[in-house]
Amino acid sequence: MKRLVAAAVSLCFAAVTAACGGGADGADSSASVGSAVFTTIDALKPGIDANAPINPYNPKGNTFRGYNAEWLGWTKNHLTDPDRFYPGVAKSWQIAPDRSSITIRLHPDGKWSDGRPITAEDVKFSIGLAYTQGGTAYALDPSAAGTASNIKIVDDKTIKITQTAENPSSAFVRGVMETVIVPKHVWGSVLPADFWERLKVAQSDAPGAEAARAGITSLAEKVIAFAPAQDVSAGPFVLKRVNPGEALLVKNRYFHNAANVAADQVRILNYTGNEQVWNYLVAGRLDSAPFTAVPAGVMRRIVQTQGNAVVRGYSPVSEALAFNQSRRPYDNVHVRRALAYLIDREQVTKVASPEGGTASVTTSGLHQEAAKAWLGDGFAALEPYRTDPARAERELRAAGMKKKDGRWTMPDGSPWKMTINVPASFSDWLAGAKAVTSQLNDAGIEAEVITSADYPLYLEEMAAGKYDLGFWLVALGPAPYNIYQRLYGAQNGWQLFGGKLTHVAPGTKGNWMGGAETVDLAGEGRINLGELTVKLNSAPEAEQKKIVSTLARAANQDLPVIQLWDYVNTQVVNTTRFSGFPGDDSDALRLTSGVWLQLGMVKRK
Amino acid sequence: MTAQVIAGGDARATLRRNFRRGVWRVLRRKPSRMVGVVILGVFTFMGVFGPMLYPERLPRDDNALYAAPSWAHPFGTDFEGTDVLALVITGARYVLLTALVTAVITVALGTAVGLFAGFRRGRWDAVLMRITDMKLTIPALPLLLVLSTVWKFTSAIEMGLVLGLLGWGGVARAVRAQTLSLRERGFVEAARGLGLSTRHIIGRELLPSMAPFIAMNTLIAVTGAVYAQVGLFFLGVLPFDANNWGVMLNLAVFGGGALTTTTALPYMLAPLLAILLLTLGIVLVVDAMDEIFNPRLREE
Repeated sequence: MKRLVAAAVSLCFAAVTAACGGGADGADSSASVGSAVFTTIDALKPGIDANAPINPYNPKGNTFRGYNAEWLGWTKNHLTDPDRFYPGVAKSWQIAPDRSSITIRLHPDGKWSDGRPITAEDVKFSIGLAYTQGGTAYALDPSAAGTASNIKIVDDKTIKITQTAENPSSAFVRGVMETVIVPKHVWGSVLPADFWERLKVAQSDAPGAEAARAGITSLAEKVIAFAPAQDVSAGPFVLKRVNPGEALLVKNRYFHNAANVAADQVRILNYTGNEQVWNYLVAGRLDSAPFTAVPAGVMRRIVQTQGNAVVRGYSPVSEALAFNQSRRPYDNVHVRRALAYLIDREQVTKVASPEGGTASVTTSGLHQEAAKAWLGDGFAALEPYRTDPARAERELRAAGMKKKDGRWTMPDGSPWKMTINVPASFSDWLAGAKAVTSQLNDAGIEAEVITSADYPLYLEEMAAGKYDLGFWLVALGPAPYNIYQRLYGAQNGWQLFGGKLTHVAPGTKGNWMGGAETVDLAGEGRINLGELTVKLNSAPEAEQKKIVSTLARAANQDLPVIQLWDYVNTQVVNTTRFSGFPGDDSDALRLTSGVWLQLGMVKRK
Repeated sequence: MTAQVIAGGDARATLRRNFRRGVWRVLRRKPSRMVGVVILGVFTFMGVFGPMLYPERLPRDDNALYAAPSWAHPFGTDFEGTDVLALVITGARYVLLTALVTAVITVALGTAVGLFAGFRRGRWDAVLMRITDMKLTIPALPLLLVLSTVWKFTSAIEMGLVLGLLGWGGVARAVRAQTLSLRERGFVEAARGLGLSTRHIIGRELLPSMAPFIAMNTLIAVTGAVYAQVGLFFLGVLPFDANNWGVMLNLAVFGGGALTTTTALPYMLAPLLAILLLTLGIVLVVDAMDEIFNPRLREE
């Protein structure tokens, strides 16, 4: 009987090992007992879906950036230059001085995890897939800025991509380098054989262009739904299995830098809320965790765990209180300035984001670190809007507001009730908004926080112009166009279609900020802020600096938003099992730990 | 005639006096019941007078964010340095008013529908019970989540109204069953035989017999309403109000990490304790009510 049990156990074990062993071709079979397992979470994939396809275009897809989803290059976290990269599928690249083209050379020994070589054909095919999804460098509209207009395979490992000459964009290079590369021999059936002919028609003004564009766009769903039978990865890891608790990836032995990849396996743990990440960190389970909003008390507990260390770096994001200037009294710049003088940003940051933020020095539309680099001495010349109740009172009086029984009212004596909207799911925004309303209530302005059930609903209602004020992310760099597009873009009325910029009326086409089309700026006269922002797309660096300076002064003077805090990229690493993590202010900090591993930065202990 | 009226009035006064004495006896029999009454009394006091005990804007202390419990702050402070006990006390009014409105609507509507359907039977019964069945098949929580996207429930009465309208089905079914049973009893047959009006039969014969059941359902509806609204606020789908118990739980867990560290634990425990005590008080009083209204349970 005992033997029977033993035999049954042996058979079961064999069956289980056989089942587990059926991984991808390039999976490193040496990964077993004693192998180095790197554990992390993917900030881009909260809520792993075990049934999702292995597809980087699918929002829930089981591909993980830097691990088994590979870009041409990995963007460095630079203050001002968006065109600096670490190598990805590309080994090197040459950018034309006017950014009109980029020539990419692939790793000569680059291979897919099934052993086949990665070729320029794969890159071209992946660009074709990217066209179905749209994006900065891959717009179908012939007049869109920064679109790749010519893709030329120079040789098996070299490809040259040229952007449209009519409407160039400084974001083109980054758009190309951030292209995810998939194997043509796996995905080939997704694009029709005549795709490139169709694309040519779609990017022209020829008859049938509209139909061709519609045809390509209609492929998007097919691309998103495509489910390869197994993972064929260009990255350092291959997906072995995934369940609702975690995704397990094993080393891709064909990866060009496999010898320097310190981990044999990577476990990407599932999470649906920040508190799960905190618990993982407290338990010391994660070797690295990307930025997560962490309360001060929890951070104190996290760093007590053996091996845990905090790394901080630049994060090109700021939190701001944005006005709907089509609503009274926020159409009056004096009211906006008064609020800026009343809000104590240090206190708000202390309450809302003590670990992941630093109080904004002033409002310029730029993160303070980037502002120093872009503006130099000009940054110090901006009005800092330090807390000054007396000045706030003068501004409110200048706006015609009245004070009755200690409470401020509208100029006609009617009540002024300020409502700040935030999504309920963002606890730091909620705490920040509450801190702002508490301060304003103390100053005699009746203010309250209103929450939206979730972030998509929040954005939808905000775009519909339903809010007076709301929290809004700004300073999304490093590209200056992206930074100022948050203030003087579509949500403030400027619509860029077919290379033509128009300004739409407040409350229409997503214009919820409702700012004026032109403003008077001291020393500059009347300027169109949206036009200047669009110019950032194509202007050379010296001119970009001038434009950024103008826009920063305009944002500081006109206050379409009040910047509250600038985010700090606070991450946690555990040095018990691995070392060599990027240090404070490293330009790799905004990249996933998969990139650190593939570059050979992280070492096994 | 006058003498009869006086005699009838005396009899009712005697009945009321005897009822009050009976209630007092039932409460005294078990000290836990007195504890329940005291708890409910404290919560009632908090609901009515709580907000008056504190300034309109509760004080904050920037240097005491998530402060530990102390004499000054028995349950510590929240993320803004506001006293947590003050938040619980001032937040009681919304919670209790919502619960009260919910209970009144649940019981009034459920009893009316159940009584009418059970007493009239026939088509009315069929129609009303099909409506009740349909109502019972609608899952309340998902519906509330959907409603919350379009309705902000800024007042306790709005919240109570919605919870009440979603919660009467069970009471209606139970009251109908009771009515169907009672209407065949001898005292109802006798009332019918005496030619008494339907209103008299329902109001004077049936309702008093169901009073204990209705009263207990009222209190149970209160606890249900407290859980439902606190749950919705905890999920973050309802408007933010710093002293709402559900919001406090949400912020303690998701903003303060109360389930990860002890820093925000008192902030989470205070509203939880309030909900626990309120439920305990209701359960203890329901125990007493059961005996008050059910003669078979009386020990003397």
